[in-house]
Amino acid sequence: MKSKKILIFGFTKSAIEISTQLMAKGYDFTLIDNDASLIPTAEKLGFNLKILDYTDDVLLKEGIGENVNFIFTLFDDDAKNVFLILSVKALDPTLHVIAITHTKDTIHKLEIAGASTILDPYQISGKKIYKLITQPEVMNVIDATVFGYHDLNMEQITITKNSLLNQCMINDIYPNDAYNLLIVGIHDKELKKEFIFITEGFNHKLDTGDVLVVIGQTEEILRYKKDFNL
Amino acid sequence: MDFFISLLVRFAYFIDSSKRYRRTKEFCRTFLEHPTSKLKFYFDLFMVVLVILSVLFLLYEVKTPELHPFMDFFINASLVIFVIEYLLRLWIYSDNHKIFLERYEYALDNRVTFSLFQTIRSIISKKLEYIFSPLAIIDLLAILPSYRPLRFLRIFLLFRIFKLFRYARSMKTFTTIISEKKFELFTLAIFAGFVIFTGSSAIYIFETNVNPKINTLFDAVYWSIVTMGTVGYGDIVPVTTEGMVISMLLIIFGVAILAFLTSIIVSSFQTKLVELKESRTLADIERLKNYILVCGYGRVGEVVAKMLHDDGYAVVIVDTDAGKIKLANQRGMIGILGDASKSKLLGQLGVGKRASKVICVTNSDEMNVFITLTARSLSKDVDIIARVVKSHHKKKYLLAGANFALSADETIGLMGLQYVDQPISYAALNEMLTENTGVVFESLKIHEKSYYVNQPLSVLKLQEKRLLLFGIVRQGIQPTDFLTYTIDDKIFYFNPPSDFLICQEDMLIIMGKKHHINILKKQSDKRPLK
Repeated sequence: MKSKKILIFGFTKSAIEISTQLMAKGYDFTLIDNDASLIPTAEKLGFNLKILDYTDDVLLKEGIGENVNFIFTLFDDDAKNVFLILSVKALDPTLHVIAITHTKDTIHKLEIAGASTILDPYQISGKKIYKLITQPEVMNVIDATVFGYHDLNMEQITITKNSLLNQCMINDIYPNDAYNLLIVGIHDKELKKEFIFITEGFNHKLDTGDVLVVIGQTEEILRYKKDFNL
Repeated sequence: MDFFISLLVRFAYFIDSSKRYRRTKEFCRTFLEHPTSKLKFYFDLFMVVLVILSVLFLLYEVKTPELHPFMDFFINASLVIFVIEYLLRLWIYSDNHKIFLERYEYALDNRVTFSLFQTIRSIISKKLEYIFSPLAIIDLLAILPSYRPLRFLRIFLLFRIFKLFRYARSMKTFTTIISEKKFELFTLAIFAGFVIFTGSSAIYIFETNVNPKINTLFDAVYWSIVTMGTVGYGDIVPVTTEGMVISMLLIIFGVAILAFLTSIIVSSFQTKLVELKESRTLADIERLKNYILVCGYGRVGEVVAKMLHDDGYAVVIVDTDAGKIKLANQRGMIGILGDASKSKLLGQLGVGKRASKVICVTNSDEMNVFITLTARSLSKDVDIIARVVKSHHKKKYLLAGANFALSADETIGLMGLQYVDQPISYAALNEMLTENTGVVFESLKIHEKSYYVNQPLSVLKLQEKRLLLFGIVRQGIQPTDFLTYTIDDKIFYFNPPSDFLICQEDMLIIMGKKHHINILKKQSDKRPLK
């Protein structure tokens, strides 16, 4: 089991999908809902559902416990998600909360409430369908590769202090014909911007803590990491 | 007799198999009757002008019998056109050879004697059905005023005006309303008739010997109707107290009846106007070619429709919610209020003919699967993309005939995992999917005359152009010296090396800003290197 404490609030279809994916990757997580009638369904699907009245701050604090890495709020009701984020953030403002939204209006409310990231299934579906109509080949390739039907993976590589890439300029290390890898972009620790695509054209100096996002076969990524002491 | 029948049968089969005959008749049908045909629109416009001018000339002739030769010619020419139109309508109303062959084949199949007399009777009765239809009678009577030797036929000039009903859609709507509200109007007419009869009888009884203006029952009926209509000409007025009471009662009843009549027609008009608008929208859709049909205008439908509409694609939206359709119309898109799972509606919308793609994005799996199945039953070639609400239903969509079934929850699952596992990769993936930062994935097809055909990848100078080549999709056999994946029936070359030769029909999957990709596309469209 991977050592990250993950709590998933709301036993919904999105929660089932995320739980399935986490389970397959060996993550430990706790599924929580306040509706006891969902227990048989959860058990049928092989999940252990914990019942907790999240509207009670004392119970919520107990339920969350210490050292939580991620909290998912995946209720079908946007109001519940907003309320839960506010409750969680009131207990510990540093917590990472990933929320789902069902209406366009709620996105901004979830941001104000303090959600670290917002999953918008409608937006994603809509854009994927649009891409399928306008650029079917692109969507087929992304689905078949990045979304994992084949052994191509998208991975992040953190530049360590002793890495050979430390203090190198990105244009000097990429492209590199010796490795069948694509560097999609970089997360510069000094810059606040979350992710910069390589196509932005900036020649970044790689420092300790910077993160490269690469696409390639797992063995190739491992070889790259090994060769550059990452 | 048998020889004669055999000749007729041969002739009927000859007509049945004649492409020219079929084409001509089909053309005449489109020309005269197809509600959304452009030809019909122009023909109707021409006929309206012809009817109005001919009526004006005939009215002018009432006081000026000696017409200008041009007017004379015009009236005769319009008569010829009306006669031709009448005969054409009679011709296209039914197919005589089909009736003949149907009866002949029935007789053969059931081994009964073929009756020529019965067949001719069926053919004639079918034609008589048309001749005695209201619009055909108007058409026939509209021809008569042009027959000069019988001057009294001029009264039929009115029918020529009625002929306008055939050409103007709004007039047709009015007649439809009248016919649809037959029962209500009939009930009201009976009541009005009863009031008129009672009022006329009463005034006749009380005033016939007192009032010099009321001498006959006709005078009484005339007075009753004028009073009920609150017109009050004043040519006949009651002189007795009883008469005055009757007129007061008649006025009250008259106002009530008129109010009823108005409300019946207005309410019916309102309903009909919606239908009229819809039929106009359907006519607009009929003119579209290769459009995308979006079934469901919820959040997913909104996103897809907006992006496609902004990109210049022709989009038609179908939803059962009038509010959503109104919203789509306000946003400049064509919206149709209706149930997309109905074969009739999808057929009307031309699925597989004019609608090349169908997107099923309602918020119910049952409905999306049903729409998918309906669309597939109408066309084998139409592309169907469906939104899967609950991911375990995905297989059903593919069984129903969807080309693609997308489950948002599946993607959410993968993204949730990615966020936990590799948050920076998640950010990259999210940007790639949502394209919010302007970095997009696009495909570039290498056409026959592309500048890049038979050139190594290095010629593309992708780094200079700030682009990233994700890979190349190519039709062919899987090679061994490259990292490739089979996607459908094609080979995907992941991150090919710089000396990789580009071939005709290759599909380059590129990532970058839209304008940078456009530069590459422009260069590709240049002449090939010599």
